[in-house]
Formats: sequence, structure tokens, C-alpha cells
Amino acid sequence: MQVYKAFFKVIQKNRGQILIYLVVFMVLALLLSSTYNPPQDTDFTKVKVNIAFINNDGDSQLVDGLKIYLGENANLVDVPDDTQKLQDALFFRQVEYILRVPAGFTEAMLSGQDVQLEKTTVPDSTSNIYMDLLINKYLNTVKTYTTYLPGLNQTDLNQYLKTDLAKQSEVTMISNGTHSAYAEKSGYYFNFLSYSTFAILILGVCSVMLVFNDTDLKRRNLCSPIRSTNMNFQMILGNVSFAVLTWLVLISASFVMYGSFMFTATGLLLLLNSFVFTLAALSISYLIGNLVKSRGAMSAVANVFALGTSFISGVFVPQALLGANVLTIASFTPTYWYVKANNEITAAVNFNADNLQSIFTSMILVLAFGVAVLGVTLVLIKQRRVEA
Amino acid sequence: MFLFNYRYRLKCIFKDKQLMFWTFLFPILLATLFNLAFSNLSSADNFLKVNVAVVQNQELDQNPSFIQAIDGADDLFIVKYTTQADADALLKDNQIDGYIVFDSDLNLVVNQSGLNQTIIREFLDDFVQSSATIVTVISQNPAALNNGMLTGISSRTEYLTAVSASHSNPDPIVNYFYALIAMTCLYGGFLGVKEVVAIQADLSAVGARINLAPTNKLTVFISSMLAATTIQLLELLILLTFLTGVLGISFGDQLGYIALTCMVGSLTGVTFGACLGSIIKKGEGLKIGILIGSTMTMSFLAGMMSADMKYIVMTKAPILGYLNPANLITDSFYALYYYNTHTQFFTDILLLCGFIIAFSSITYFVLRRQKYASL
Repeated sequence: MQVYKAFFKVIQKNRGQILIYLVVFMVLALLLSSTYNPPQDTDFTKVKVNIAFINNDGDSQLVDGLKIYLGENANLVDVPDDTQKLQDALFFRQVEYILRVPAGFTEAMLSGQDVQLEKTTVPDSTSNIYMDLLINKYLNTVKTYTTYLPGLNQTDLNQYLKTDLAKQSEVTMISNGTHSAYAEKSGYYFNFLSYSTFAILILGVCSVMLVFNDTDLKRRNLCSPIRSTNMNFQMILGNVSFAVLTWLVLISASFVMYGSFMFTATGLLLLLNSFVFTLAALSISYLIGNLVKSRGAMSAVANVFALGTSFISGVFVPQALLGANVLTIASFTPTYWYVKANNEITAAVNFNADNLQSIFTSMILVLAFGVAVLGVTLVLIKQRRVEA
Repeated sequence: MFLFNYRYRLKCIFKDKQLMFWTFLFPILLATLFNLAFSNLSSADNFLKVNVAVVQNQELDQNPSFIQAIDGADDLFIVKYTTQADADALLKDNQIDGYIVFDSDLNLVVNQSGLNQTIIREFLDDFVQSSATIVTVISQNPAALNNGMLTGISSRTEYLTAVSASHSNPDPIVNYFYALIAMTCLYGGFLGVKEVVAIQADLSAVGARINLAPTNKLTVFISSMLAATTIQLLELLILLTFLTGVLGISFGDQLGYIALTCMVGSLTGVTFGACLGSIIKKGEGLKIGILIGSTMTMSFLAGMMSADMKYIVMTKAPILGYLNPANLITDSFYALYYYNTHTQFFTDILLLCGFIIAFSSITYFVLRRQKYASL
């Protein structure tokens, strides 16, 4: 098993670069697990928009009432009243709506004069529409009271507003069954795994191939007293064991973070899917390994390939948010089908013939990619040998 | 000597394929990927009319005011009138965000809690609450009914005037591209490292030869650094043209200031690399490793991987932002794009100039008057 041993010696020598990708993956996996996911409610909960409330008017019960009402229906975020700070908060979506109550608002409102509040929003956004609805409703109700019950004092007005606006319509939530809180998180984890798998396998396999494909070394190996079948077998074994080892290391953290969830149908399907993907990635890495000529090119290709496929296939940005054109291009990479299968696995509440068929079709496509690329590589190697 | 060395350093850098890939092609590639992945991200917030079904039954027919209200809200909803079974099927297929059933009370049926569902809910609540208001008013002042109260309540007053935050759209996506430019600037450090290696007698054979030449080392070094900066600036301008011309990323329209930022950013990157190259005495691998590691960390803090990161640093640890050249470059572009004043922009540029001076002086003091007992 000299060839097999030599394979791992080369990997050992190149562990630095590989470890970087492993560490990055583990750090991100940890970050993922620490992000808080609210438990999925079976009851309807209102979505609360983050808003900033700035009062340039004096303190009055009317303004207080409005602020309390908005506090119940939106998240009031404390942002200092400074142009740049407000601009920053809006730009980075810390708040999506800034409401400014102008000076003299209470007096104008109570005396029935026309008054305008200033809003600063993300233009055309849904949150903008929603907050407009809420605020206009509140102020129109105030107007109704001040118009038709003149002389109403602010305390009574607030009381009336409070009682009226506490009335609610009924909401029934049809739930599609409960979902494990881990399903979504593990989906991110396994999607991200494709990036690391690709990068690590390309770097590992390429570094070995660069050594073995060196012309002088290759000639020396060909005249060694080991049959080429035996040598090829050891090489294949080396590649496969490296891939399986990488897969085992990368999935190990999922058992730590999600525990017994990994042994449910969802978890097992995710594992199977990632294993199938690892095989396809190995096959592609093998092709790249046979094409790349220098170590510099190796890290360039590894980066471009791993980053490129991940970006367009929905590893970093969900597939739902990618454009149709991008997804069409992405469907020519195995990563796209791998991520698609992951998304379907984690979205499914229970597995039936329909969704299982779709999931397995994706997996078979990933496998087909692997087989096709392997075929190309073998032809390439055969041709090269004739040339040499 | 100055021009001679300048010309040959230009050639050396241009012919270094690996260097050209990382400092030039890689940022362009990354920008393309960013654009492919993020192009739909900002429009995801955009309001699309909410699809809602109303179940037709007797109760509904007895409440024409409700039909009138929901038909009047055609800027919010796309309403379908269906049977209960159809509404269920539509909801299951996610064709609608929810459906409304009128059985003695208003009832909303949804399958998830989202902003669209909240809007339907708010509309229904509004209807219920207005009715309550009418009842309260009439019980206090029955005469109101005759004073046109019902028409008054249905004609709503608009109380909100939009004031835009800035002359530019608050689009967090652009920050990713600004941070990417910052990364490209600092990747100019590769060029700086290369120049230092090429002039130090203990790091390269070329360096040893140059040190033997009867010419001022500072002159040679300055011309080398200028060559590196020239190429870095050129790469940056091509990237910028690509971003604005091909990808359509907005940088605002203050071209002069943008050019200034590019100039200062390039110098920061190249001197940063030279400084790293001269302080770290070990092999070139370590220099490059530290350069990539620090550049990535700084770009991360400037918001290249997640725009929120920049905001967190801005509000929680502003000092960290001012000590991070990548953030200063990103922030210069951000300030030009978004702020109405130039105070922040000039603060950033001045701090960057400070960094350039610091990096250059460190490099100068490390490189000068070195003598070698043996090489």
C-alpha cells in the first residue's frame, strides 16, 4: 500500500490550507447554532416593524397615547435624533420607518387643523405601507372624536382610543404540522457544508495529483514493480477515503449541535444527501486535479470554483431570493441540486411519495454529475498517457 | 535610474500571473458573484399587493359596507370572492396570503405569521375598530349621525408626508460592493510585499543585486512603490468602471471625490503590504498568509460578508471602525453615496492618510541602512 500511504503523506504536507477551510466552517457552524430562532408558533403573531419615534412636540397625552399604541404594534428602537445616526439606522435596516411628530402637533390636532407628520422610510417597502395604515388609522380616529365630540379632554380621548383600538378580529391559523426548530438551522448548516466540501476536496485532491502527475515522477512510477491496476486501485482508494474522511469531519459538528435530530428521517436524508454530494465533488476535484498545472493555480481554482458555485446555487443567499437566470445557470452545477434537495428535506413536515420523489431525483442528478465528470476525466487520463 | 526601475517593475508585476489574478481578476469575479446573488435581495422588501380571498356567504351579503371597504382598498389587496373550499385550496397552495370569513364576526384564516398576514389583520381590525368608534360617538352625541359622520369616517385624511433620508436610496447592498473595493485596495498589499522582497538583499537575489548598484536605495524603492501604486490604481479604476458600467452599482455622482478615495485607498493598500513585508522577517508564505488573514478580518468588520457587521461596529465600537483601514475606505464610499455633508468623508480620508504615513515611515525605518555580514 505504498501509493495509498504516499497519498496521505502529501495531504499531511498540505494540511495548512485545508485546515483554514475547516476552521472557517466550524466557526460558522458555531455561529449558526448560537443565533436565536424563535419557536414556531401555532398561534398567529403580528409582525412588528422596527421604527424610530421622534417627538418634536411638547409632552402631551395625545403624543404619549400614539407612542404607546405604536409600541404595542411595532418595535420602538431608540435612535438618537441626529441626521447621520438616523440615516445609518435606516440604511442598515435597524429601523425601517422613522416617524417625526412636528412641533405644535397636539394643538393642531385637537383644534382640528391640518397637520402632517414626517415619515422617513425605505421607499416602496411593505413595512412602509403597514406603518402608514397603523398611524393614519390612529390619527383618523382622533379626528373623528375631536370633530364629533368637541370639548373632549385628552384623558377621555385617550381612554376612548384605547378601548376602540383594543378591538380585534379573530385569526385562525391553519398549521401545516409542527416543525422541528432544528430543521431550518440544520438546512443552513448542510447548505454551507457544500462550500467547505468543495474547497477542501479540490485542495486535497489537487495537491496529491500535482505530485503524482509530475512527468518525471510519473515515469519513475510507471516502471516500478507494481502493476498499474494495483496502483490505480490504491489511488482510487486514497481519493475515496480522503473524501469520506472529509465528509465525516464536516458532518461531525451536526451531531454535536443537533443531537438526536440527526437520526430522524430529516436528519438521515440530509446526511445521505451530503454524502452523495461529497462523491460528486470528489469526482469534480479529480478532474480539476488532472487539469491544474501549478500550486498557485490550484488555490485560485479552488476559490473560484467553491465560491462561484456556492454563490449562484443558493448556499449563501437562499435560492428563493436568486433570479431565474442565475438559477438556470446554477442548475448546471451539482451544488444547485444538492441545495435544492436540502431545502426540500428541511421544508417537508412529513415525507410522502411526492416530495421524496423530488428529493431523490435531485440526489440522482448530483450522482449523475459525478459519474459524467468521472467519465470525462478517465478519457482525459487515457489520452494523456498515450501522449506521454 | 528612477524611470528605468519604474518601467521594469511595471513589467515584473504585469507578468506575475498569480499576482494579477488575486489583485485584479478575483475582485472582479467576486463582484460578479455578489451581483448575481444580491440582485433580488433589495427588491424582496418591495410591497406587492396582498392576495386575499373573501368567502361568499349570507353574512357577507348582509354587510355591504365591508364589501365596499375591501373593494375600496384596491391599493392594498387583490381580492378574490370564492367558496370556502376554494379558499382553503388557494391557501394551501400559497396562492393567497389568507382568506376572510364573515360569520357573525370577522374571521381571518392564515397559515403563517408574516407581514402580509399582519396587513390583512390590520385592515380587519381597522374595520372593527371604526365601528366601535362610531358606536361610542353616537352614544355620546346622537346628533353626529345627522352631521355626516358616516361619510366623514370613510373619507380618511392622510397625515403622513414622506421625507427622504438622503438624496440616495438606502440600499444596504451597495455596502457589500464598497467593502469589496476596500478588500481590493488592501490586496494591493501583495504588490507592496513583492516590492519589498525585490529590494531586500536577504529576501531575493534581485534585492542583493540592487543593493550593490551605486544608486540611492530610497530612490529605487520610491520608484518601485510608485510602479506598484500605478498598477493598483489602474486595477481599481477598471474594477470601478466594471461595477458602475456593467453591474450598475451606484456610487453617487461626485467623481472627483471618488477618484480621490481610489488614490488614497491604493496607497493605503500598497504601503500596508510594504509595511507587513518589512516587519515580518520570515518567509514569503507567512507574509502573504498574514496579509490575506488581516485583509479578510478587516473586510469582514467593514461589512463584506454581512452589512450588519458595519453597523454593529459603527454603533457599538466606533473606535474599531476608525482603526480599520478597510472600514475607512468602505465608509468613504458610503459617506459619498449617502450622507448630505462631507465631514465624515474627510475624516475618513484624513485617517487613511495617517495610516499611509504610518505604514511608510515604519517601512522606511526598517529598510534603511541594513548591512549584512553574509547572504
